[in-house]
Amino acid sequence: MGFWLELAASGLITGGIYAVVALGLNLQYGLMRIMNISHGEFLMLGAYLTWLAHTVFGINPVAFLPVVAIVLFLTGLAVYRLCFRRITRTSPSVEIIEARSLLVGFGLMYLVQNAAYMTWGADLRGYSFLADAVEIGGARFAGNSLLAFGFAVAASLALLAVLRWTMLGKAIRAMMQSPTGAQLVGIDTAFLHPAVFGAGLALAGVAGALLSMVYEITPGMGEPYTVTALIVITLGGLGSAAGCLAGGMLLGLVEAFGMHFTSPSLKMLLSYAVFIAVLLARPKGLFAR
Amino acid sequence: MPEPVLCARGIEVRFGGLVAVDGVDLDACAGEFVGVIGPNGAGKTTFFHTLSGVIVPTAGKLMVGGDDLTGCAPHAFARHGVARTFQMPRVFRDMSAEANVRFGLEFAGRARRHAHEAFDDARAILAFLGLEDSAALPAGGLTPARQRLLEIGMALGARPRVLLLDEVAAGLTHAEVDATAQLIRRVRDELGLAVIWIEHAVRVLMNHVDRVAVLHQGRKIADGDPRAVARDAAVVEAYLGEEGEPVKRAA
Amino acid sequence: MTLRELLGAIAAGALALAALPWLASDFLLSLALTCLMYIGLAVTWAMFSGATNYLSLATSAFFGIGAYVTAWGFGSLPYALVVPLGGLAAAAFAALVGAGILHLRGAYFAVLTFGLGELVRHAITYSEKTYAHTVGRVLQDAPESSVVYWTVLLVAAAAVAACAAVRASRLGLALAGIGADEERAQTLGVDTRAAKITAFAIAAFFAGALGAAVAVRWTYIEPASVFNPFIGFQTVLIAMIGGAQTLAGPMISAVVFSLLTELLRLQFPYAYLIVLGVLLIVLVLYLPGGLASLVGRWRRVRA
Repeated sequence: MGFWLELAASGLITGGIYAVVALGLNLQYGLMRIMNISHGEFLMLGAYLTWLAHTVFGINPVAFLPVVAIVLFLTGLAVYRLCFRRITRTSPSVEIIEARSLLVGFGLMYLVQNAAYMTWGADLRGYSFLADAVEIGGARFAGNSLLAFGFAVAASLALLAVLRWTMLGKAIRAMMQSPTGAQLVGIDTAFLHPAVFGAGLALAGVAGALLSMVYEITPGMGEPYTVTALIVITLGGLGSAAGCLAGGMLLGLVEAFGMHFTSPSLKMLLSYAVFIAVLLARPKGLFAR
Repeated sequence: MPEPVLCARGIEVRFGGLVAVDGVDLDACAGEFVGVIGPNGAGKTTFFHTLSGVIVPTAGKLMVGGDDLTGCAPHAFARHGVARTFQMPRVFRDMSAEANVRFGLEFAGRARRHAHEAFDDARAILAFLGLEDSAALPAGGLTPARQRLLEIGMALGARPRVLLLDEVAAGLTHAEVDATAQLIRRVRDELGLAVIWIEHAVRVLMNHVDRVAVLHQGRKIADGDPRAVARDAAVVEAYLGEEGEPVKRAA
Repeated sequence: MTLRELLGAIAAGALALAALPWLASDFLLSLALTCLMYIGLAVTWAMFSGATNYLSLATSAFFGIGAYVTAWGFGSLPYALVVPLGGLAAAAFAALVGAGILHLRGAYFAVLTFGLGELVRHAITYSEKTYAHTVGRVLQDAPESSVVYWTVLLVAAAAVAACAAVRASRLGLALAGIGADEERAQTLGVDTRAAKITAFAIAAFFAGALGAAVAVRWTYIEPASVFNPFIGFQTVLIAMIGGAQTLAGPMISAVVFSLLTELLRLQFPYAYLIVLGVLLIVLVLYLPGGLASLVGRWRRVRA
C-alpha cells in the first residue's frame, strides 16, 4: 500500500511541476499564438538563479522564489519587446505568427542554452536543501519534493483564481475567445500581451527554482520540459488553464506508473506515445466537450 | 423532367447541440439558375459548404452527376464538376491572375472538356470576365471587385458542371451586380451549367434566377418560381423585421 | 530557364564537382562533402516546407533512420545498395507518419515532427539495448573517402534535380496552392492529402539517403550522434536564410553555413551556436523571405 502511494505521489509531484511549466506556455499560446519553444530555457535560468543565490550568497531558495519570479517577468517583458512584438504586428495570418514565433523560439533556445553553457559549463550542479525524508501514511517523501509540489499546486491554483475572478483574468479569457471582439470592448493588448508573456516566463522560472531544490541542474535541462509542456497542453486543451493542471497531473501519473511497469528508459517514449495518441484521437484535448 | 446534376437530400449539419442545417433538399439541373436566399443565420453558407464538400453533413445524401459523394473530400466534389467561389475572395495572392485560373484547369478540370472550347484556356476565361489586362498581375494586388470576378474565373477553370456562387454580389453596386448576373447567365447558357447562387440581399437575386429556395433557421421553407415565393406568407414572415421591404419590392 | 536546361546545368555542375577528389586535399574534400550534404537536405526541406508552409522539423529523424540502415546493413550489403535502402526506409516512415499527422497545421505539426526525431532515437536506443545488447555499432572497412564523396555528390545532385522537377510539375503547383490556401486548393480539385504525403516522402527519401551515405564517415554509430537535432535545425536555418521559396537560395546558403560551421564550431562551439540563434531571430524578424527576397527586391527597385 505504502509503495503504491509513494508511486502515485511521485507521479503527482512531477505532474505538479509539469502543470506550472505548461501553464505559462499555454497562456502565451492561447492568447497570442506565440509558440515559445525556448520556454524550458527560461526554466533553466530560474534554476541557475536559485542555485547561484543559494551557493554563493547563502539565500534560502524558498525566500528567493519571488525574486526569481520578478527577474523572469522582467526578462519576459524584454524578450517580448525585442522578439515577439514585431511578429504579432507584422504577420499577415495566425499561421504565420505560429511559424515565425516557433523559429524565433528556436533561435532563443540556442542563444540562452549556449550562453548558459559558456557561463556555467556543462557540469551537473546542485545543492542540498530539505533532503530529509518525511513520512506520511506509511509512504516516505523527500521534504524538498513535497515543498516543490505544494508551491507548484499553489502557483497553479493562484493563477486559476486570477483568471476566473479578477478583471484582468476576465480580460485575458475574453482575448483568448475573440481577439478582435476584446479589442472592441477596450481591452488594451499593448499592456496585456507583454504582461502575459512575462507571467509565462515567471511561472517557468518558479518551476525551475523548485526543480533546483530537488534535482541537479544543467544548461540542457530545459529542453525536455518544453516538450513535456507541449504534451500537457495537448492533453488539457489549448488555452485551458484548468485542463493544464489536470493534464500535468495525469502525465505525471502515466509516467510514474508506466515506468514502473516497463522500464525507466522508456519515459520519453511513453510521453510521446501519449502525445501522439491524444493528438490523433482528441486533438482538442482530453477534456474538450 | 431532366435528371438533376446536383441532388442534395435531407442535408443536416449539427455543431454540438446546434442544428445549423436541418433536413434540406435541393436539386439543380443542367442549365438551371437556382437562387438560395435566407436571413442572417439561416444556415445558407453552412449548407453551401456541404455542397462543395468543405463541411461533411452529419446526415443526408449528396449526389453529383449520379455518383454518391456523401462524406467525400472537397477535391472529389471539384473533380466531379462542382466548382465554387467564396464569400470573401480566396485567390492565391502571390500567383498571377492567369495562374489562378489555370490552377483549376490543371486539377479539377483536367479530365473533363467544356461544351464550349473557348473556355479551355485561362486567357480566354480572363478575357470573358474582362480581366485580360490583369492576367500577369499578382492576384493579391487586384481590387476587391476584380478579385471577386477572378474567383468566378478560378471556378470556371475547374470546368464545372455545377457552379456554386457564395454572395458574389456583396459589396458591389447595382450596376456591377447586374453586369455580374448577366455574365453568369451567359456562362450558364454557353456551357449548360447548373448555377446555384446564394445571396443575402434578396432583390438582386430575384430578378435573375429561374427558381429560388428559401432557408430559414436551417430549414427550407419555400422552393419555386421567384414571384410565387416572394408572395409566400412564410417567406414574408421570415424576412419581416429584417428584409421585409426588399421582398415586397421584388414582388 | 526551362526545366531541361536547368537539369542540364545541374548535371554539368555535378560532373565538374566529380573531379574534386583528384584536385583537393582530404580536408577540402570533407568540407565539400558537408556542403553537398546540407545542399541536399536544405533543397528538399524547402521543396516541402518552403512551398506548403508546413514547418517540418523531422529532417534529423529521416537522416538518422538512413544512418541506422547503414549501421545495420553495412558489411552484409554493398554500399551502393545501403544508400537507396536508407532513403526508402526514411520515405516509408515519412509516408506512414505523414498519413497520420499531415492534417495538423501550425505549431502542432512542427512540434510533432520535432518529437519524431526524439521518438525514433529513443525507440532505437531501447531496442539496441534490449535486443542487440549494445549502445552503438562499429563500422568496419568503410569505403574510400572519394567513393563516399561521389555517392553524396550523386544523391545531392539527384535531390536538386528532383526539386527542380517537382517545382515545374503539377505536384509543385499543388504544393504552392496548399501553402497559399489549402482549402481553396482542395475546392479546385487538389487531393491535398496525397500531395502532402508524396512531397513529405520525397523529401524524407533524400534526407535518409544522405544519412545512409554519410554514416560511413563515422566509424562508430550511436543514436545520440545520428539523431542530432542540430542537423535538422541547421537545415531549417540554411533554407530559411537562403529563401525557402527558391531553389538557388538554400544551395548558396548551404555552402556558406557548412563552411562556417566546419571552421568555427570546433573552436568556438557555444559562441557559434549563440551567433546562429541570434541570426535566426534577426532573420525571421526582419527578412522573413530569406536572402533570396533581397535579390527580388533589388530587381524590383532597378526595374
